[in-house]
Amino acid sequence: MSSFIPGQPLTAVVQRIQIQKLRQGDNLILGFSIGGGIDQDPGQNPFSDDKTDKGIYVTRITPRGPADEAGLKMGDKLMQVNGWDMTMVTHDQARKRLTKKNEDVVRLLVTRRSLEEAVKHSMGSYPRQ
Amino acid sequence: MMQEPQEVVEETVTIEEDPGTPTSHVSVVTSDDGTTRRTETKDISSNVKVTKMVKTVTTRTVRQVPLGPDGLPLPEGSSPLGSYTDSIDRRYMKNGGFITPQATSTLTRSYNNSYNDSYGEAPESQYVRHYGLHDGYADLTDNYGSLSRGVNFRPPRYPYLPNSYRPENSYTLPIRKDDYGHVAQPQVPMGSSTVDLNRSQPERFQAEPYGLEDDRRSLGPEEEEPYELEPDYSTANRRTLQGANRGRTHREPLRDMPRVRGYPDEAIEAELIDERHPYIHGMYSAPLAQPERGSMASLDRMGGRRSPSIDSIRKDPRWRDPDLPEVIAMLGHPIDPVKSNAAAYLQHLCYENDKIKKDVRQLKGIPVLVGLLDHPKSEVHRKACGALRNISYGKDNDNKVAIKICDGIPGLVRLLRKTNDMEVRELITGTLWNLSSYEPLKMVIINHGLQTLTNEVIIPHSGWEHEPNEDSKPRDAEWTTVFKNTSGCLRNVSSDGAEARRRLRECEGLVDALLHALQSAVGKKDMDNKSVENCVCIMRNLSYHVHKEVPGAERFQDPSAPQAPGSAGPQRKKKDDAGCFGGKKAKGRKNGENDKNYDTLDLPKRSEPSKGFELLYQPEVVRLYLSLLTESQNYNTLEAAAGALQNLSAGQWTWSNYIRATVRKEKGLPILVELLRSDSDKVVRAVSIALRNLSIDRRNKDLIGSYAMRDLVSNLPSGQQRPAKNLEEDTVVAILNTIHEIVTDSSENARSLAQAQAIEKLVAINRTSQSARETKAASHVLQTVWSYKELRNALTKDGWNKSHFQPTLATTPKATKNGKPGYDDTTLPLMEKNQGTRKCGSGDMIPMDELGPDGYSTIDQRDKDCKYKTVDGSVDQTEREPLKNDTNRKHYIRSNRPAVSLVDACDVKPQPVDSWV
Repeated sequence: MSSFIPGQPLTAVVQRIQIQKLRQGDNLILGFSIGGGIDQDPGQNPFSDDKTDKGIYVTRITPRGPADEAGLKMGDKLMQVNGWDMTMVTHDQARKRLTKKNEDVVRLLVTRRSLEEAVKHSMGSYPRQ
Repeated sequence: MMQEPQEVVEETVTIEEDPGTPTSHVSVVTSDDGTTRRTETKDISSNVKVTKMVKTVTTRTVRQVPLGPDGLPLPEGSSPLGSYTDSIDRRYMKNGGFITPQATSTLTRSYNNSYNDSYGEAPESQYVRHYGLHDGYADLTDNYGSLSRGVNFRPPRYPYLPNSYRPENSYTLPIRKDDYGHVAQPQVPMGSSTVDLNRSQPERFQAEPYGLEDDRRSLGPEEEEPYELEPDYSTANRRTLQGANRGRTHREPLRDMPRVRGYPDEAIEAELIDERHPYIHGMYSAPLAQPERGSMASLDRMGGRRSPSIDSIRKDPRWRDPDLPEVIAMLGHPIDPVKSNAAAYLQHLCYENDKIKKDVRQLKGIPVLVGLLDHPKSEVHRKACGALRNISYGKDNDNKVAIKICDGIPGLVRLLRKTNDMEVRELITGTLWNLSSYEPLKMVIINHGLQTLTNEVIIPHSGWEHEPNEDSKPRDAEWTTVFKNTSGCLRNVSSDGAEARRRLRECEGLVDALLHALQSAVGKKDMDNKSVENCVCIMRNLSYHVHKEVPGAERFQDPSAPQAPGSAGPQRKKKDDAGCFGGKKAKGRKNGENDKNYDTLDLPKRSEPSKGFELLYQPEVVRLYLSLLTESQNYNTLEAAAGALQNLSAGQWTWSNYIRATVRKEKGLPILVELLRSDSDKVVRAVSIALRNLSIDRRNKDLIGSYAMRDLVSNLPSGQQRPAKNLEEDTVVAILNTIHEIVTDSSENARSLAQAQAIEKLVAINRTSQSARETKAASHVLQTVWSYKELRNALTKDGWNKSHFQPTLATTPKATKNGKPGYDDTTLPLMEKNQGTRKCGSGDMIPMDELGPDGYSTIDQRDKDCKYKTVDGSVDQTEREPLKNDTNRKHYIRSNRPAVSLVDACDVKPQPVDSWV
């Protein structure tokens, strides 16, 4: 997903990924880490093409963790989490959205460069869940 | 002379001592009231602010995306408010185009009584008209997050528009304009308020979105309703809230009212109604708000009789926000949702508004809020917490005291034990953090909350386990907001003197958990966040004076120092000095022996792993601090880690000997020396003092003399002209004292000093510095250097003569009397005094400095914050090997320095860049 102009329709090639959280002690974990958010410095994001993109990106993946198993990749950009938009949220909001204690499963909508290259002209933005 | 060094050392220690000060330094936290408060406050506020920012953005987005098409929120023509149009617009629209001013200024105005007449007098029809619009809009706003969703929601509402709203007006800016113009012009009162508005607009508008955001935040869970089935209850709430925040629309208040009253059990419905007619709050509370009865006149009017004439004058405002006494009265309303909404609204009102906080206090609202903490409904105590958090934030300590007086601290702690709601826990700990910034409350928090905070938050979130299960691998710390808040609170209270330190050290599991958390941070290379900073600061504070304060410390007093074990603190201090003096020549040898002991004997055998406060000074911690010093990008963390080493390497007991040697063996000296190049003043200072303490160890002294001299000297100002870094006086003095310590008793080091071109700088400082303390410190170094006769030849060749090494008349009149080393004795005390003053005065001085850095203007820190945001784990100091983004970062730091104003965007959240989920 390259540039995102607020107010303009957004075209993105997205993939749905469903991750079953893993219970670790008292915690439910997804096994990946996120960076970015509208409160973060987008210039520091090593994964974005557009350095003004304040989206949420997957920065690290625990090998063989739930996210890894589900096919999430480092550098993926999260578009939605359980239907919630992730392109215009703070880092913390995204984190909270992902770490709801009462949800065992998260459904992600992600986009990644390879996808986009593979499927040109697909319209997949913001499918409703 | 020899004595001097020792003294100096002592002072260093003292500096740490400032215990508070160190603390304060480190944690800035605390010791200094001003500093403290601000810092913490800041932190918290920063969160809020972040939120704010977010909000703004969000709003905009919303507007643009979903609304844009409708033309609803278009900012262009709409309001005179310019760039803040977003939020304004929204409110504006909702309220039928007029509310903005009201919402903004309502409270204040009604306070002033100037507002009473102006509301409540529009024709009913108007209410109805706007209603549809408003409603639809609110929904949109709520769902700001998703682009498509917003659109979805809209359509159902459209039908309302044509019917209920004047077609021309619908969703278009012009309308608003019209309304606005209408209102503003004819009305005198309005006009005046408008003026006010204009004046206060910037603030207001900022505040509003923030407030909103804040509210939203607290509502977090409810936001999800569309997707997650949340209790209707909360849903309603949310809406209500938003309505409330934006300014209330009261359409058809009368109609609904009876219903609400009639079916109190239908809480949900009531709420929904509220939502649509937030004004109803006012209705509810009207009877309750006895004191303000007078202002209720308008309410009555709304109830039915409106004077048409007034209506015609003011088209729109037929409702108003409840004024503060009413809101506070609503806190006691029998219907729970009213309570929680009132509390939430209060939180919103208090956001960054010291006046309102004060008013709430004076209207006795705080005890009511505290009372709500024990309310069984989570919605209610959550909102009460939120309000308390905002009230407790800020410089006005009376608010904090008011919370304490009505037993708010035990109340918060009690709720913390009871609730599992993460958000409530965040609010509680945030409030405690705010409270902990006020010196007199620190002990209260320790008394009521220390063990609870440790057991409920610190230990579980640190990943530390009492009895580690062999099978499971150790857990990592989680940098949750709750942990951050709690560690911030403990950081503050840890600076409250010896007794506070003792309590924290002896708090079961605390030190263990903090260490575990830090180790986990190092392991994950995630050490730039605020939680780590807080933990290190606590560790630093608890390390202060361990050699005097820890139970059984006598047993470990350095045998090589001629002290009677068990002597009292102050006495011991003297003895230390004496030991140093007496042993000057012998000292090196002695230390050498110690080193040998250390090298050969190794650390004392332990039958069982150390735990609790013993962990503070085990040589193993050295590696931890050095890792932090190597990896962290956070200046505060760096400063605190250096400060911890400084504290641990001070004093004369067995453990400090070990620590000093361990730093060397772990190759810590180069790490510290490298940090002398840091851009951060306080890091340089802490490192410099740490080096001074470390050089009590003879080998360290030699090494530091040979390898650190240039870096030390390069931090000194040359003459009038400050170096690029422009270090503060404190820092310059610290460096000079360190240099003094290093050259004392080592002509070799004095030679290195001269070779580092330091004499020129020292002479310049001695002669021209504006600072008496700098002058004095430089003068001491010069005298020490001159005292090495073997160097004089070389010095003379370089063009120096005795007069250069003598204290200058002007600055140190006494010095001339005595002439030479003997004079030192007189000077030393002076110097000490000075330093002492500085420490004591640190309350005054440091805060300023600290505030800068830590606070709004903290460039350094912010840079840091920003810097590490995106970067994964380990990023090194600028000067180190470049990692991923290093170059950027470097640039960032440097360039950012001057640009303070740009900072807000970045800093604001001390949040981790990267969060595991």
